[in-house]
Amino acid sequence: MAETGAKKVLVIEDDPDAVDTLKIVLEDEGYSVSSARSAEEGLKRVHADRPDVILLDIMMPSGTEGFHFVWQLRKDEDEKCRNIPIIVLTAIHDKTWVKFYPDKSDPVYQSDEYLPVQGFLDKPASSQQIVGEIEKVLSGQGTPFRGEKRSEA
Amino acid sequence: MEHAVPSNVDLEELRDRISWLIRLRWWAILGVLVTIWVGRRMFGVELQRSPLFLIAGILAAYNLVFWVIGKWVPRATRGPAVSYFANLQIVLDLIALTALLHFAGGIENPFICYYVFHIVIASILLSRVATYLQVTFAMALLVTMVTLEAVGAIPHYHLRGFLDETLYRSSVYVFGGLFAIGTMLYFTAFMATSITSRLRRREAEIVHLSTALREHAEDLSRAYDALRQLEGARSDYLHRVAHHIRSPLATLERMLAVVSEGRTGRLPDRSKEMLDRARTRVRDVLDLARDLLVLSRTREALPLAERKIVDLAALVRDVASEFRHQASSAAVSLAVSCPDRAVQVVGDPDSLTELLENLASNAIKYTPAGGDVRISLETRRHQTELCVSDSGIGIPPGEEERIFDEFYRATNAQESGKDGTGLGLSIVKAIVETHGGEISVESELGEGTSFRILLPSSDHRRP
Repeated sequence: MAETGAKKVLVIEDDPDAVDTLKIVLEDEGYSVSSARSAEEGLKRVHADRPDVILLDIMMPSGTEGFHFVWQLRKDEDEKCRNIPIIVLTAIHDKTWVKFYPDKSDPVYQSDEYLPVQGFLDKPASSQQIVGEIEKVLSGQGTPFRGEKRSEA
Repeated sequence: MEHAVPSNVDLEELRDRISWLIRLRWWAILGVLVTIWVGRRMFGVELQRSPLFLIAGILAAYNLVFWVIGKWVPRATRGPAVSYFANLQIVLDLIALTALLHFAGGIENPFICYYVFHIVIASILLSRVATYLQVTFAMALLVTMVTLEAVGAIPHYHLRGFLDETLYRSSVYVFGGLFAIGTMLYFTAFMATSITSRLRRREAEIVHLSTALREHAEDLSRAYDALRQLEGARSDYLHRVAHHIRSPLATLERMLAVVSEGRTGRLPDRSKEMLDRARTRVRDVLDLARDLLVLSRTREALPLAERKIVDLAALVRDVASEFRHQASSAAVSLAVSCPDRAVQVVGDPDSLTELLENLASNAIKYTPAGGDVRISLETRRHQTELCVSDSGIGIPPGEEERIFDEFYRATNAQESGKDGTGLGLSIVKAIVETHGGEISVESELGEGTSFRILLPSSDHRRP
């Protein structure tokens, strides 16, 4: 149901209940939503749909799949796809001080950069929070994580 | 034969000392020349200058040869060769001394006692046995020289203007003198070699200790690396467990919310009310799971992990501004008193923030409208003191000890209708302890509570 002018959101999340719930809220708020259940499927949908923003569950089953997706996308050949803003969905960021640098054995791992994503949403995020974060990122006010080096102290 | 073949360390040391001996010999040659000059010019003693200068020249010549050998011979020369080199030098020196004495009065010359220098040098450079052998060699030379002069087999060069001419033939004097010198040299050898061998034992101990220390440090470093990896793995595990508990609960809350918000169709008020109550319960469990993860992680955090220099003053101000809104909503005043300059402690900034947030949140939560909350930071000589106090409901007497226990909520807190997991203060205490600090609480029921935390100040030189 592509409304002209509606922003396109791609939800990459392996929990189907979470996907359905997000879809209900986002479509209610005027967004056009597509979804993928894995990083691999996600990359395919990115190329097919060219969404305006991606909501990504960072801990999809293995724990590294989400990171892998981010690094892969940021090296994509298609420039438009490369720069699509990503909002990370996580159940354990808030107050648990998890820093998002992935497993060093991942061949796509960039050792000295933070994860180049533009926003974080802690589950459970309220409908206002979700919409708020999407709007913030789409208007260019998302966190400029890209290229930010971290010190290995 | 102890130290017959020197170890590698001894070898280095032996070489150094041989270089030192060669340098010393230059000074000795200078000393000989000065003595000759002083003897003649100042004391008017008649000396056989030519032979003496010749011997000094020979000394200089072989010292030059030794010096060249020292420079050009490869470092890889084996132990025995270096030992022989040292022995040779001392042998030649003894011969030179005996020759000098022969041409300068023999037993008349008070410098006859200078044999002792060579014996001391021998005990520093050589083994015990070799030292005694050198003493024996020295005495052999001396006894031969003196005896041959006394019986007239070789000429005696009398020091005119010094002692009586008949002295060198007087058997009493000769025997007496030789006996005195002989015993002196043997006893000196005994004492000096004893001291040296004790010194060598100490040095060997030190080398052994420093090797052991280095190995220990390496072991420690390896153990620490292994521990960090383990901590990383366990931390991963904790995070995965937390994720697997929280993620479905979060989804559950969202599903209830979506229905409650009417997005799946119109909802009767009572249904909405029940759903919202259900959502609250789910959020309670989510908070509990999160707090358990935080507590676990804080408790087991390695003291050395993630340590940074943290400016507590800035942190206090940040947390205070974070809670301004909450405080004003609760009609509670929030006052902060901390120094303008940075107050540094060593620790993890995230944990310290969590600590302050917990205390501030509690203070505001349990203080009725119109009350006040105060956060103060003060530096002492070696400590930093952080206080969070409020004019709230206080803690019932007898419960002050237990409020830090997991899942314990004070009776009046439970009755207040405000919710809490009972883990907040456990987390605070764990964080304080990980940072090497202490926490204490003072409270009056109905009047207020004050938490006092002492943290060690950072040592700027060793972060």
